[in-house]
Amino acid sequence: MAMVRRRLSPAKFILMIFFVAGAVISLFPFIWMVIGTTQNPNDVVMGKLAIGDQFMKNWEWINKTYSVLLFFWNSFKIAIVTVGLGIVINALAAFGFEKYPSKGRDRVFGILLLTLIIPQMAIVIPMFRQIASMRLLNTHTAIILPSVMSVFIIFFLRQNFKMFPTEIMEAARVDGAGETRIFFSIVVPAMKATFASASIYMFLMQWNSYLWPLMTILSDEMKTLPIAMSSIMRMYTIEYGGLMILVCISTFPILILFLAMQRQFVQGLMGSVK
Amino acid sequence: MKKSSSYHRYLNRTGWRFITPAMILYIVFMLYPIMYSLFLVTQKWRGMSREFVGLGNFVRMAQDQIFWKALSHNFIFMLIQIPLMVFLAMILAVILNQGIRRFRGLFRTVYFLPCVTSLVAYSVLFRILLQSNGLLNNLMLNLHLIDTPIGWLNNPFWAKVTIILALTWRWTGYNMVFFLVGLQNIDSEIYEAAEVDGASKIRQFFNITLPLLIPVILFSMVTSTNGTMQLFDEPNILTNEGGPANATMTVALYIYRQAFVLNSDFGYASALSYVMVLVAGVLAFIQIKVLKERK
Amino acid sequence: MKKGLLSILVLVSVLFLTVSCSKSSDSSGGSAKAQKITVWCWDPAFNIYSMKEAAKVYSEMHPEVTIEVVDIPENIEGKIEAGLQAGGAGLPDIALFQDYIIEKFIQNYPGSFVDLKAEGVDYSQFAQYKVAPMTEGDSVYGIPFDTGSTGFFLRSDLITEAGLNPEDYQKEMTWSEMIALGETIKAATGKPLIAYDNTSFDFLRIMVQSTGTQFFKDDGSVNYNTPAVKNSIAILEELHSKGLLYMAEGWNNWIAAFNGSEAAGFMNALWIIGTLKTQPDLSGKWMVVPTPLVEGVAGARNASNNGGSSWYVFSSTKNKDVAVDFLKSTWAGTSDEALEFYNTILKGAGAMGTFLPSRGGSNYTAPDDFFYKSQAVYEDFSEWMAEVPVMYYTPNYLAMRTALNNALQNMFAGNLKSIDDVIAAAEAEYKQVTGN
Repeated sequence: MAMVRRRLSPAKFILMIFFVAGAVISLFPFIWMVIGTTQNPNDVVMGKLAIGDQFMKNWEWINKTYSVLLFFWNSFKIAIVTVGLGIVINALAAFGFEKYPSKGRDRVFGILLLTLIIPQMAIVIPMFRQIASMRLLNTHTAIILPSVMSVFIIFFLRQNFKMFPTEIMEAARVDGAGETRIFFSIVVPAMKATFASASIYMFLMQWNSYLWPLMTILSDEMKTLPIAMSSIMRMYTIEYGGLMILVCISTFPILILFLAMQRQFVQGLMGSVK
Repeated sequence: MKKSSSYHRYLNRTGWRFITPAMILYIVFMLYPIMYSLFLVTQKWRGMSREFVGLGNFVRMAQDQIFWKALSHNFIFMLIQIPLMVFLAMILAVILNQGIRRFRGLFRTVYFLPCVTSLVAYSVLFRILLQSNGLLNNLMLNLHLIDTPIGWLNNPFWAKVTIILALTWRWTGYNMVFFLVGLQNIDSEIYEAAEVDGASKIRQFFNITLPLLIPVILFSMVTSTNGTMQLFDEPNILTNEGGPANATMTVALYIYRQAFVLNSDFGYASALSYVMVLVAGVLAFIQIKVLKERK
Repeated sequence: MKKGLLSILVLVSVLFLTVSCSKSSDSSGGSAKAQKITVWCWDPAFNIYSMKEAAKVYSEMHPEVTIEVVDIPENIEGKIEAGLQAGGAGLPDIALFQDYIIEKFIQNYPGSFVDLKAEGVDYSQFAQYKVAPMTEGDSVYGIPFDTGSTGFFLRSDLITEAGLNPEDYQKEMTWSEMIALGETIKAATGKPLIAYDNTSFDFLRIMVQSTGTQFFKDDGSVNYNTPAVKNSIAILEELHSKGLLYMAEGWNNWIAAFNGSEAAGFMNALWIIGTLKTQPDLSGKWMVVPTPLVEGVAGARNASNNGGSSWYVFSSTKNKDVAVDFLKSTWAGTSDEALEFYNTILKGAGAMGTFLPSRGGSNYTAPDDFFYKSQAVYEDFSEWMAEVPVMYYTPNYLAMRTALNNALQNMFAGNLKSIDDVIAAAEAEYKQVTGN
């Protein structure tokens, strides 16, 4: 096997070309949006692929029109707080469901799974009333709280906790450890990769979330990046070059995050498909 | 090991304790809104005025051809796009895992990236690429693959193809990563044994790889089915609000339009949502049944 | 180490939450002060810019009042609706509404807006087509903002290339004349006359509004079966069959079509000028002529409208007097400062108000070098604005528009053969979507 791999046979060469083409297709939008930042709006809609000389102009426009740094910070803050709270709360729940089996909780879990298929827009109006009556409109708390609990993340973590041997927990109990301590000092350290995957996933969802923040944010200083992007799309004269700068600013942190943590991310997925 | 009933009660209490924070959030931000929308289903809603219509919204739905059209589109996308994508994701993963291991990590990363792209960039780009005089048509014309430009965005048939292609572009890599993980879970000794027995690569695939990948296939299928049932972004932004002339309208998009664009009729929108959830629930149930049988 | 990281993360989260909670209570406490007005609108380069200019003017007169203009992108209506449903929760003092949506709010949420006529606004000073949709009985609820006065944009260089003199066409024309011109241009240059956005209802709307015919009957039911709609569709059909339409597939593609010289012209409102100017290569080539006349319909004119929006004060506001006074003394004010303000926003944002006394401003009459022979386009648009026939939208305008446009798309695709089929299909879809 190892010997064969060294030489690139014709069949493999063709496969390689095929894969490289696929990679180009996957990467194309990223390349395009970087080029777009340098073009005037007209070149962007014409689909020109040449690098232009309008970057500074677009940059000035976007900074004059929006508080980009503030929006970035808002997006980041909301996402990181959601992940911080969400990972603990969902993990505890998943752990409770998986490692403390009971008929009652299994039923509760069944109900949770059922509601996984309810589309967000079906409950946006009652949610809005709820948030309004809690006097939370126009706060980041209003965006964070409803997305902290995620049925999908609980499901995902529960699948992964299946891999964690119950015997270890029992041994720890014999040593006199409390259940909360078992969770935080034995289970959590052992499942770093799982937590990394879930965190990245939650971060991604919240970073890109749009419909709900759109409903609850009522002032400029509370805005997030996706809201600013859609604001540009609604103008009479759409500044595509400036839009592309915002798109880059909102995409590249995600790319870096994913590239930096992809080993853990992929490892963490292991349990979910067993 | 203590097995006393008080110990069991202790464990049981701990279990409830662990799930409590999540359940509080669930009740406040999921269950209550859902219950409230159950009430909405019985209302015809116009601004401040609400009128009790009982099951009237469901009667209206039965006669609403656009709803049925939208539902049929969901099924078309589900039946064509999901098998296509899952198959593609699996093949790519198998080749990456066995055929060309060189640059595997790199390809995995690159193929995964489309699903993290910002929706705005993705939709603007695809619209520009796919317009009649766009890059894709020009490329195909130059290669003499087609004689006349294809109406990717304004022909009812090709617009559906566009949605399928866009979804495939965005999610194949994502699913491929799951397959790669699944493949890594397979012991390489099995293949070595098969190699010794003289089994061809294709036989190895059908006899070893495929059966062991069934959990991954089902995972992909179930999550994608749920995603396709809720399909909203692509028809809304890419093909212009379900166009041309409702040719790519989906149920989720129709709900959104009923609630927030056309009528502000939250009662009818809720009724549509319940039907959608029902359909998705039945599909999930079937898939889980299949999963259990396989195991 | 991971445990440390996790606990830090949680700590930070909790900290943030408490901070953002306490912040919210601060702001709700602060809103009790009467001198801050909040305004919602959506386009930083257009109506937000304009409102901020108005705020500047008002601050000169009343330094104690601060006006906060908030950018609410996409679906501002959905958000306002959610706020009204929740009894005014989170709503600002003033908001901008698209003209086509406001009747839905006035009818569905009675009592939610301040009657500005009762507050003493003189509506005879505004373009009448703007006032009608915001009127109910004796009450008028809004302050008109911008006009979507329309014209036909033509490429003078292509007319010259066809051996004609562009100046001969700077006049009021009928659609038959326009079609004849289009055929000549097409024969000489190969370019279709019109860049047409297949996904948008704008074109047909402009035609029908120019006739003064309504899309709805007095009882609010839909009325597609009118000579205005039929003749307009017939014109579109003729344009299409003669190859005079360049079919664009959505907004981007449509912009690319006229800025990329794919067609010799297009028809839309004056707010498109900003987009035209993003293609400086075409400077000196564009000219604007009046909206062509739809023949065979009584009351048809060479003027129409597309788009436009107006300001409304919510009844839930705690600062009604200040909010009303602000609008009255800027947007409806005849002081020199107010009139100069209208002049400023025309130049700064390309936003043309519908306040008739403002039309004398220097920027209205200024020649514009971007256009053929430095046409003073704004002067022309403001002249046409005064002629625009009234159009009523009812709460069902969007459903009406979607249904008819879908039928039109089916006609262009060859699925619907006759105009009667188009109308029947639109009626059927309208019924299903609205449930009436």
